[in-house]
Amino acid sequence: MHNELKITDMQTLESNKKITEETTNPISLDLPDFTTDSYKDAYSRINAIVIEGEQEAHDNYISIATLIPNELEELTKLARMEMKHKKGFTACGRNLGVVADMEFAKKFFSKLHGNFQVALEKGNLTTCLLIQAILIEAFAISAYNVYIRVADPFAKKITEGVVKDEYLHLNYGQEWLKENLSTCKEELMEANKVNLPLIKKMLDEVADDASVLAMDREELMEEFMIAYQDTLMEIGLDNREIARMAMAAIV
Amino acid sequence: MFGLIGHSTSFEDAKRKASMLGFDHIADGNLDVWCTAPPQLVENVEVKSATGISIEGSYIDSCFVPEMLSRFKTARRKVLNAMELAQKKGINITALGGFTSIIFENFNLLQHKQIRNTSLEWERFTTGNTHTAWVICKQLEINAPRIGIDLKKATVAVIGATGDIGSAVCRWLINKTGISELLMVARQQEPLALLQKELDGGTITSLNEALPQADIVVWVASMPKTIEIDTDNLKKPCLMIDGGYPKNLDEKFQGENIHVLKGGIVEFFNDIGWNMMELAEMQNPQREMFACFAEAMILEFEKCHTNFSWGRNNISLEKMEFIGAASLKHGFSAIGLDKQPNVLTV
Repeated sequence: MHNELKITDMQTLESNKKITEETTNPISLDLPDFTTDSYKDAYSRINAIVIEGEQEAHDNYISIATLIPNELEELTKLARMEMKHKKGFTACGRNLGVVADMEFAKKFFSKLHGNFQVALEKGNLTTCLLIQAILIEAFAISAYNVYIRVADPFAKKITEGVVKDEYLHLNYGQEWLKENLSTCKEELMEANKVNLPLIKKMLDEVADDASVLAMDREELMEEFMIAYQDTLMEIGLDNREIARMAMAAIV
Repeated sequence: MFGLIGHSTSFEDAKRKASMLGFDHIADGNLDVWCTAPPQLVENVEVKSATGISIEGSYIDSCFVPEMLSRFKTARRKVLNAMELAQKKGINITALGGFTSIIFENFNLLQHKQIRNTSLEWERFTTGNTHTAWVICKQLEINAPRIGIDLKKATVAVIGATGDIGSAVCRWLINKTGISELLMVARQQEPLALLQKELDGGTITSLNEALPQADIVVWVASMPKTIEIDTDNLKKPCLMIDGGYPKNLDEKFQGENIHVLKGGIVEFFNDIGWNMMELAEMQNPQREMFACFAEAMILEFEKCHTNFSWGRNNISLEKMEFIGAASLKHGFSAIGLDKQPNVLTV
């Protein structure tokens, strides 16, 4: 006999309701305390990465223009926008009374920066676009999208404005690669194999600091993969090609 | 365009399918990799109605697996990201299949309208519950007499009676079938009392009391694997309709004159050239599918672009009749016991 069977053992549609109410209701409960020393300490590095990232983006777009001079005007516009973002994020740090650790940020980007410079010297436009317009932009967008959900009100507003711009940049690199896909696919795949693992490493490197800011590593990675997959799809790669490229992120 | 958001029945299964479809980057990954995997538009398909109308649709795998149910944030992201993808692809009406609609409802995802730069438009989505409820009722009406149960004398127990599908089934049974007695079982007593008041009928009882009395049992609550049931105490013949998700009743109820029917599954009149239902482990994957998926197709056939099934307790008899008539018109039928010769033990 199995008379111990009770209706309370069953998963009904209602049975998870309690979890729901506890975990989702007051969204603001998820927000961290922006005034603690540990928050500010983590922020000094994350904020620096963002500021350095925007500066490098500016420099990279100016550099890319030397390879496609007829795009100079468009790229200069983009570069200027990146400088505007840099100013915005600098203000976010100032607002919290945080001094950005720029030395850390420079080191953080050094490998990717180095790869970009080598590609630039060789005139490898595809590699330059992959690094800046796809990987760095997708990394930035994913981080900003996650950050917006847990940022202080001042930074939230600034970041929302930046994200709108960042979607434009992603499109720019996308368009060029789409038009030239037949000739640049091989270089794209090769450059991806070298540089995507760097992004993964960079993400791992900031995961602890990010979690102090209530930014979840898993969510960051997922947001990145979404932005990255979207771009590759737009460029015209098929599911299998994208899967092969994304593979580099988990090796 | 119609859309279907689905997922694999287990993590192992998901990896096997991903490998089959060429998604090697996640096929080899562990659960953490899957937790970071974006939703995938797996297949596009064209479907032609019995009336001759053609529609196009897409199957989106949310990359959710049931093993993620305990990771609340992950599950929430999987559902919302899949919905965002459906909307970005311009799909008019998308059904939330499997655990997707349960997660949406239970984790109250209505408050997460803004996903990145997309503001989700709820009218583009349907839980498909109206069609599922109608199909379950039809399965009951058609199959009970086949095994010698006279509906006019039958006692029917609905387990999970206060859920969206459960309450709709109760409403239909009381008003449309002339069954002898309706037993209503659910975890929460308050909504059960409200339902009884609304229906002006039905008896509130417990599972232990309901099972030995029922000629027909409609399960619209999923059972955990740990539950053991003594089949000796059941009426014979007895019809068990497994309307929950995942469908695991047949493991529990084996025995002579106990007939388990997979509830809420429909068959299309023609082969559909798709692979997606093979993935959902349907017996006849070219024709069979979850009724909730079929609802998205029916709404697209009818150019009825609205969140037809939405929220809880909104399924009226009129809505069930509408979707039922459209279902038949376009070539769907509820699967019956004859589809399951292994279980038939008359």
